[in-house]
Amino acid sequence: MKQALRKMALAAVCVGGVAVTIPVQAANWLMLQGTEPASTAGRAKVWGFIQPEYQQTRGSEIDAGPWTGQRAVFNAMRPDLKADKGFNTIRARVGVRGVGMPIDPKVNYFFLAEFGNNGITQQGGGSVKVTDASVTLNHIPGARIRVGTFKTPGSEEGLQAIHVFDYINFTGATNGLLLERFFNGNGSGTFVSPVAGPGTAADSGDANRPNGSVSAFRDTGVQVFDTFKQGSWEHAYAIMMGNGNGIARGENDDNKETYLYWSSERVYAGSGPRRQGWKMFAWKQSGKRTLSTEGAGEYNRDRAGLGTTYKKGRHRAAFEYITADGMIFNGTDGGAIAGSVSNLPAGAAGKFTGNTDAGGDGQVTASFNVEVEGEADGYYLHYGFAPNPRWEFDVRYDVYNRMTDVSAKERQFKTWTLGTQYFFNRKSRVIVNYEIRNAEAPNLPVSDNANKILSGMDNRFSAQLLIIF
Amino acid sequence: MFTHIAKWSVLLAALVLITGGVQSVFAADKPFAEKKIVLQISDPDPFKQTLVLNVANNLIKEYGTDGVEIEIVAFGPGLRLLFADNANKGRIQGLDANGVGFRGCSNTQKSMAKKLGYVPEMNPVALVEGPGVVRIVKLVTEEGYTLVKP
Repeated sequence: MKQALRKMALAAVCVGGVAVTIPVQAANWLMLQGTEPASTAGRAKVWGFIQPEYQQTRGSEIDAGPWTGQRAVFNAMRPDLKADKGFNTIRARVGVRGVGMPIDPKVNYFFLAEFGNNGITQQGGGSVKVTDASVTLNHIPGARIRVGTFKTPGSEEGLQAIHVFDYINFTGATNGLLLERFFNGNGSGTFVSPVAGPGTAADSGDANRPNGSVSAFRDTGVQVFDTFKQGSWEHAYAIMMGNGNGIARGENDDNKETYLYWSSERVYAGSGPRRQGWKMFAWKQSGKRTLSTEGAGEYNRDRAGLGTTYKKGRHRAAFEYITADGMIFNGTDGGAIAGSVSNLPAGAAGKFTGNTDAGGDGQVTASFNVEVEGEADGYYLHYGFAPNPRWEFDVRYDVYNRMTDVSAKERQFKTWTLGTQYFFNRKSRVIVNYEIRNAEAPNLPVSDNANKILSGMDNRFSAQLLIIF
Repeated sequence: MFTHIAKWSVLLAALVLITGGVQSVFAADKPFAEKKIVLQISDPDPFKQTLVLNVANNLIKEYGTDGVEIEIVAFGPGLRLLFADNANKGRIQGLDANGVGFRGCSNTQKSMAKKLGYVPEMNPVALVEGPGVVRIVKLVTEEGYTLVKP
């Protein structure tokens, strides 16, 4: 560990040494979230945001397989998955940030807690979770040090502040590959006879549910980072080492996650999260995950990506390509809600899932699955047009290829998202999205159950109100 | 001959630097100014830093660079405005170029140095000399300045 930290510090100093430029304040995600403006920040600035929303699909049911006629997980409303439409306060976050001692700008902190109803608070008990708690030391020129729990340097969609996100739902690749769910097992051998009848959600405790909060693109560890200015260009780097266990969760093995990040941005105008500029970035994270139940063992988990963002005048655009190797979240059995009981007789269920029906009554329970050695990739393209400060119109196309290394298991998700934003003022807006969603198993015949199930994926309507305070 | 010219060039450059520095300290001397304003910043609120600079800028816009004498006096928690690394240093430099004077309180600086364990580095355009409040009293009672505390 000590050796690794020494390597990180050395690398940081090297990076700082190569970039013979002037350190600058803020204006990119690393700086906006990890530092405070020098000699102006207060002892404690209270801030936060609230995002109530409404989401709706047509509620099409599963069309084939052991859970035919039951609620499809991809048409259910997040995070409870109990309805096809409804209201939810998806995020309600309150935070404090600043400098402990205002006359010393070299030490600052960032704290944020989640009160909303989502994958952070739904899992692992409790209704409030701390998402960020970090301290940054700004003593070494070119190598600021941030320690604690915070957003990891990586994908633009994950790293950016969620309250300036132009859409309501994440793209398929970001949701599937980067918004990590943590499991104790791979979901392959958790099936036993349920205690209730078909179509019920009488979870017998073996649905391989996540063992706590989603990662929320965060980790606990130490990051060395800084930003340098060269004329109208800004270059930023970050090197991080973390537990690789997301938030609200301690370490469960001795493996450490490493993160690398670089961005270069031509700055056009403005400052803060909506600054105008053209940014290019690349990132990589590597680590291992330890499963303790089904498929117990250690597995590699690697993610990498590169992309660009552009914002100037009325136009915004973005592109990012993401690739993944290992620990691929593979959804649920038969497209059912995890914990749902199948309605097929004995034998057929086992044939479909490859799992045993221990009770012999012909019913099995749908579980979450992880392909520990799978591969996947995906990308998104975004364009936005803001004719005036009140309105913005957005369109996004994203593709997510899951399990690209096993033809029978490959699934392809393609989504067009049409969006509108109306800004009441700089800190409050309403977002309306309509997602045209398609999914298929490209290497299986159309008549295959997998394709029949996926063809039932509905389009989704969402509306969200946002206020930042 | 070349050496002779080089020597004079160095001397001239030094003179320019010195007078430049002096000009910065005494930039508030404007014989044709119609208004004289002293702006007080003594508040820990970060927004007040922006506000006091905005007010100075607006006064210059209204009366013109030569039409108003402005001095910003910082003391107490407000002295952070004149720290060398302050995020507003670009704006301060711009105002200094327009003749706005910046004065810091030496008592506050000493007090901060005790807490920090070192003397905080100050913006080179600022003159840190004497108590800030005494400076304000002098400007208001003896030199006809109007005190504004945004």
